[in-house]
Amino acid sequence: MPLTSQPIDTSIYTTITAAIRSEASRLFTAGEVVAIIGYAAARRVGSAQPIIITNAADAEKLIFTHACVNNLAVYLTKAKKEIPKTGKIGVVVKGCDLKALVGLMGESQLKREDLYLIGIPCNGVLGSTVQPATALTTESIASKCCDCNSHLPTGCDFVPNVALPPGLQMESRYSVEIARLEALTPAERWAYWKEQFAKCIKCYACRQVCPFCFCEQCLCDRNKPQMVDTTPRPAGNTAWHIVRAMHLAGRCAGCAECERVCPMDIPLNLLNRKMAKELKELYDYEAGFEVNDKGPLTMFTEKDDQSFIK
Amino acid sequence: MHPENQKHDFEPKIIAFVCTWCTYAGADLAGTSRMQYPANVRVLKFPCTGRIDPVFILKAFQQGADGVLVSGCHPGDCHYIAGNYHARRRFAAFRKLLEFIGVDLGRLAFSWVSAAEGGKWVEVVTDLTEKVRAMGPMVEFKALALEEQWSGAIDTPELQEAYDAI
Repeated sequence: MPLTSQPIDTSIYTTITAAIRSEASRLFTAGEVVAIIGYAAARRVGSAQPIIITNAADAEKLIFTHACVNNLAVYLTKAKKEIPKTGKIGVVVKGCDLKALVGLMGESQLKREDLYLIGIPCNGVLGSTVQPATALTTESIASKCCDCNSHLPTGCDFVPNVALPPGLQMESRYSVEIARLEALTPAERWAYWKEQFAKCIKCYACRQVCPFCFCEQCLCDRNKPQMVDTTPRPAGNTAWHIVRAMHLAGRCAGCAECERVCPMDIPLNLLNRKMAKELKELYDYEAGFEVNDKGPLTMFTEKDDQSFIK
Repeated sequence: MHPENQKHDFEPKIIAFVCTWCTYAGADLAGTSRMQYPANVRVLKFPCTGRIDPVFILKAFQQGADGVLVSGCHPGDCHYIAGNYHARRRFAAFRKLLEFIGVDLGRLAFSWVSAAEGGKWVEVVTDLTEKVRAMGPMVEFKALALEEQWSGAIDTPELQEAYDAI
């Protein structure tokens, strides 16, 4: 954490808002899309909420501010079956959200030709929207934005033409925390996670908000066999979070929505980032903007490391 | 004649997830060849190491295993062509996750044991059993199962005061 928090320039967001409004209006007038998933102002000052608009008149509702935290990709997975029947859907994406969409395309959940991507050159969003009117600073910024390498999404159909202000150098909060935990003994790490997982109330908000949790029946909801205890007690919680992290390993795009929506403030993305780090080291894999048919855990090479196998 | 069995204070429970084509046959060979190995191991037969879901390992620990062994065909020998290659990546990732959560990786072993390697099976099982015996019982997951949710307990003075006021 820096001693003094520095303000982050979000002046470009005004230009971006104007640009996505005119683009949305044009798209509906030209009949290129049937709906656009974007952000609109919510009731509280400075806050934003997801919105789905279906006509040009509503284009004026679209905004982009540093309170536009949601990953809108999640609306596409849950509604994916309707897309081919109705036409193209426009979606407003930040870099991290685009990575999730690309991941979903790689897993054949979405087709690129069914989407019209409106990319946002993003300089960061708030970590918490509890106080949505907060200015964006190096302190209030989301942890995922601290080491963001995808400010400018690529491969979109439309990206507002603005120059991103030079990014501030920020300490990667996740790397620092992962390094801190790695330096502990297994017993200390167990104690840390035990405390964290004990907070879990099994609301499954992390599953609900995750673009990659699209299974029609989750392993954790099945009771024949029941692999994970469903009650919100420490044993079942621990199992759920381990299974969740494992099922997202090699797929997670790092949008950190799980961590944002967690009502009990469990550092969920820490597990995801740890797995991403390990997969980068082991298989040189990183979530990016290119569609890959196979993720690191669905492919192999004959020369994979097997130093841990006797 | 069987050699005299040594008595130990602690007999660990070891769960072995093995593939039917190589390691199970290897364990069978060890048996038919009258090789001695610790009786602590419970063998569970799967079609392939690729069928072994990491959640099985988790479940084994939760149900009281002190150590887990996953064993299958050597790379290139998989009956289903590539199941063990997939398993290799999956378990490489899973053990990193368990390590991060705080599980001692000494309790988790992976090996390739072919149908001809009865001796290697004995060696792998003996090594793991002795290692886990030295580490003592796996208490972490068992303790979790007995614990109640923190929110069920009144653990702050404010809450206690509010409770007392009722």
